[in-house]
Amino acid sequence: MNLFSQIGILLRKELVLELRTGYAISGILLYVLSTVFIVYSAFFQGVNNAMMWVTLFWIIMLFASINAIVKSFVQENGNRQLYYYSLLDPLAVIISKMVYNISLLFLLSLLTWAALAFMVGNQIEEFSAFLLALFLGSVGFSILFTFVAAISSKADNNSTLLAILSFPLVIPILMTLIKLSVGATGMLEDTGVGKDIGILVAIDLVLAGLTLVLYPFLWRD
Amino acid sequence: MIRQSWWKILAVVLLVYTFTAGMLVPLKPGIADVSPRALQAGTDVEMTITGYNSYYTKAKSDLRAWLKLKGDVVLKATSIEVVDDRTLKLVFKLPAYLPSDSKDDVCSLILDSPVDGAIVLPEGIALTQDSVNLAEGSKLWSVDKMDQLNAGPELTFPYRSVLYETIRNQYFHVPLWFAMLFLFIFSVGFSIRYLRKFDPDADQRALALTRAGFIFGLLGLVTGAIWAKFAWGAYWSWDVKQNMTAVALLIYAAYFILRGAFQDEEKKARLAAVYNIFAFAALIPLIFVIPRLTDSLHPGNGGNPAFGSDDLDNTMRMVFYPAGIGWTLLGFWIAAVSYRIDKLQNKLLDA
Repeated sequence: MNLFSQIGILLRKELVLELRTGYAISGILLYVLSTVFIVYSAFFQGVNNAMMWVTLFWIIMLFASINAIVKSFVQENGNRQLYYYSLLDPLAVIISKMVYNISLLFLLSLLTWAALAFMVGNQIEEFSAFLLALFLGSVGFSILFTFVAAISSKADNNSTLLAILSFPLVIPILMTLIKLSVGATGMLEDTGVGKDIGILVAIDLVLAGLTLVLYPFLWRD
Repeated sequence: MIRQSWWKILAVVLLVYTFTAGMLVPLKPGIADVSPRALQAGTDVEMTITGYNSYYTKAKSDLRAWLKLKGDVVLKATSIEVVDDRTLKLVFKLPAYLPSDSKDDVCSLILDSPVDGAIVLPEGIALTQDSVNLAEGSKLWSVDKMDQLNAGPELTFPYRSVLYETIRNQYFHVPLWFAMLFLFIFSVGFSIRYLRKFDPDADQRALALTRAGFIFGLLGLVTGAIWAKFAWGAYWSWDVKQNMTAVALLIYAAYFILRGAFQDEEKKARLAAVYNIFAFAALIPLIFVIPRLTDSLHPGNGGNPAFGSDDLDNTMRMVFYPAGIGWTLLGFWIAAVSYRIDKLQNKLLDA
């Protein structure tokens, strides 16, 4: 069985598991909706400027992503992981998880956008630029969180460790994303969009490359 | 013994040199203050000058001063009275018209002394005139000439407004960061070696180097903050460079917490090595890319390179490079001691 068919099988497994229980997507969706609700109620004057909108969006996305991705390693117990590793290439395991998480997060970010637009109002004017930011953000978040979740799943108190390890690492990505998204609201005439996109792509590529190189050292116990 | 630890001796020598030369070499004489700063054409002005590190009483009658406008037109001071080493009173007889086609202009002040050298206060003084007469003004201002300026004392550090004496922080703050980066690079090297050979010794070395690098990072942040209190007015002003370096230190703090989270030595070493490599890759955009995207108050941002001739002259280089080598060697020394302590502790635990 080559790498690609292994990845295909693992992706199908994730999807089937998801569709069977409906736990991750519906749980995360509910999480996003209630967070939007809480955050909106907390701002008494409402969210009326684009900067605030964008910041809120990405903070909600950050926490929603962590919650979504923690599940990808926590829901599989050690015995099942041992079973995978005796059957499959570790690269297939991590790539399938990353691809699945990227699509999950991208879907999630679209849903968050819809929820915010419905409850707060849409502030985005340049749809294609924002969609690109969402995609690059999903890629960055999912690679980083998947990798860090793989490290912290080896420890006992892993949700604390996940936050400690991933928050500082995610800040450069988050800052660039916020800058890019503020540009997409049409509030600022941002001249450095190409540079920002370049930086995000570069960070994503470096993280992806490192994850692929380092993961084989992580999985064995 | 000597052959093994020559580099430690070198570190001590270089750091002693850094502290003595870096702290004792005086700043170049400068002009700290001028009053009044706004002059009216056609009047006689008495101007008080406050010097910095200057020796006016030694120079006395050899002192000369000019007001200089654009296009090298100058007006010489008619009399110079030395009050003390730090205070001068100049008298300028300003002609009725300026060599300028507008009602206001700015000029710089140049003070020349055989002791202190020529000192320029750039663009510090405003000139105004009631009516414009370019031809007459040019004639009136072309009488005096500025010539034979003296060279200043050789062994001095540059005098810069805003920075003043804190320019010496260049020998502490900057080399501490360089040393930190070197330590982290070597630490990553040992982490890679651990993952290739699974040699516990490489992991111990990586740990010791990261520890020393972290200490240097903290010192770099603290020296920067103390400097910022003087230059920017606050220890912490949420500048992008400060934020990013704080985040970088958080990333490395997480490294130590990660190590603490595992009981099994082999597992601890393996995960720490993986995280160390990952963290170093994340550090690069944090320190080198993000601060360049946004505005920062930090020297070296906002278009000026930090290693320009403005910030680092030849006298400063004579201290700065030895300081860089000295701090780096000290970092490796600290790492070596920390490594040996760990090793001894492990030996005791095993026994």
